[in-house]
Amino acid sequence: MFESILIDLAKKLLREKTVDLIIGYGSTHYPFRTEPIVINQEEQADALVWNPFCGNNLARYLKYYKNTQHKIALMVKGCDSRAVQVLLKEDQIKRDRLYLIGLSCPGLVNREKLQKQFPQASPEDFEWKETGWFYHGEQIDPELFLEKTCLRCRYPNPPEYDQLIGKLQTTSPYQTYQKDYLDPIDNLSSEERWDRWSKEMRKCIRCYACRNSCPLCYCQECFADSTQPQWVSPAPTPSDNFLFHLVRTMHMAGRCVECGACERACPVSIPIAQLPLKVEAIIREQFQFEAGTDQESAAPLLTYRENDPGDFVK
Amino acid sequence: MIESSWEPKIVAFLCHWCSYAGADLAGVSRMQYPPNIRVIRVPCSGAINPLYIFKALREGADGVLVSGCHPGDCHYISGNYYARRKFYILKELLVWAGIEADRIHFSWVSASEGQKFSEVVTEVVNAVKPLGPSRKLVKEFSTDV
Repeated sequence: MFESILIDLAKKLLREKTVDLIIGYGSTHYPFRTEPIVINQEEQADALVWNPFCGNNLARYLKYYKNTQHKIALMVKGCDSRAVQVLLKEDQIKRDRLYLIGLSCPGLVNREKLQKQFPQASPEDFEWKETGWFYHGEQIDPELFLEKTCLRCRYPNPPEYDQLIGKLQTTSPYQTYQKDYLDPIDNLSSEERWDRWSKEMRKCIRCYACRNSCPLCYCQECFADSTQPQWVSPAPTPSDNFLFHLVRTMHMAGRCVECGACERACPVSIPIAQLPLKVEAIIREQFQFEAGTDQESAAPLLTYRENDPGDFVK
Repeated sequence: MIESSWEPKIVAFLCHWCSYAGADLAGVSRMQYPPNIRVIRVPCSGAINPLYIFKALREGADGVLVSGCHPGDCHYISGNYYARRKFYILKELLVWAGIEADRIHFSWVSASEGQKFSEVVTEVVNAVKPLGPSRKLVKEFSTDV
């Protein structure tokens, strides 16, 4: 139902030339996956899909249109809309060039989890109602198949949109899952945390998929690509991998919108979103700032208070 | 095992206007402090990119000291306030990643505080020494699987 509303809207936008192109999701021949597509003809609009496998954060693609004049319609989930807000705040694109197709998002389905839980399932077996998720009419626990970042989602509704597809969600069923997936790590000892991360960093092949899928990693030249000075060795050694991820995390501080696109892009399943998520938790607690929902106050690292925490300084 | 002759190497980022002058004062006043620090002078503590700190650890520094002007005394008015936020997050992140908290130190030392500078360095060296040579994040650790 929502898909037909989406397609009608897309056709109208292109027909009336409200926008020049639409960045949205299309289907692929892989099951449980979608791909980002860009369309600029009315008849192409039928290719658009909207389902819980629309994992990419399409705000990523705005950077390629920074210096063009196109008017762009973008399909945005709650987190994607927050990413657009950050881009607007950082003056990466002008609001009047954007038409935000808001998607009320019940959470993304993690296909590995899903195939483990329901090996025979096809996407049609699932249904989202206002009361929760259903599998063949039977209510099921979202923890069994939702993305980890979606289980802790606080913004199922996009904070800003021009047209909403679906109904605004008044309650998110995941509010019951407020147990943060960072908690178990917080409770580990320093050595255990190191063991955990060094194990993850040994897996990393430094393909930069995390960086390249991130809507907010838009630097023209990344520090990791710089050869003079060469901050990180191009060889994916664990220490260089960790250096890359730590610096990227610092670059995301106060900007990460917790969409989890990096984690979904990771080909070796490193829970890489945890690093920026931890920093965002610190920033929320200490500096009362949340990226993508607060357009008024300055970004936390671009401002200060005289009474900021300072006990760690001798 | 830590050999008895082992001495930590500590990279110290000192701001030009306060801490560097404080270190200078400690020197001309002939105050004693451990010779373990390698000083890098920076224009302002706010000019220190977190990358420098990670890079120092990655290149084998056993500890890092960052020192700037006292809050309110920054030559550039507010550089050290920005630095304080940045380093607060940086330190929390490093500790959360499992790096020993005692490897990274921050201090405010003014140009007149030669005494404090020597105390800070002594304190830092005493904190880093028991940790032994840095292993985490050091590039060689790739071979130590």
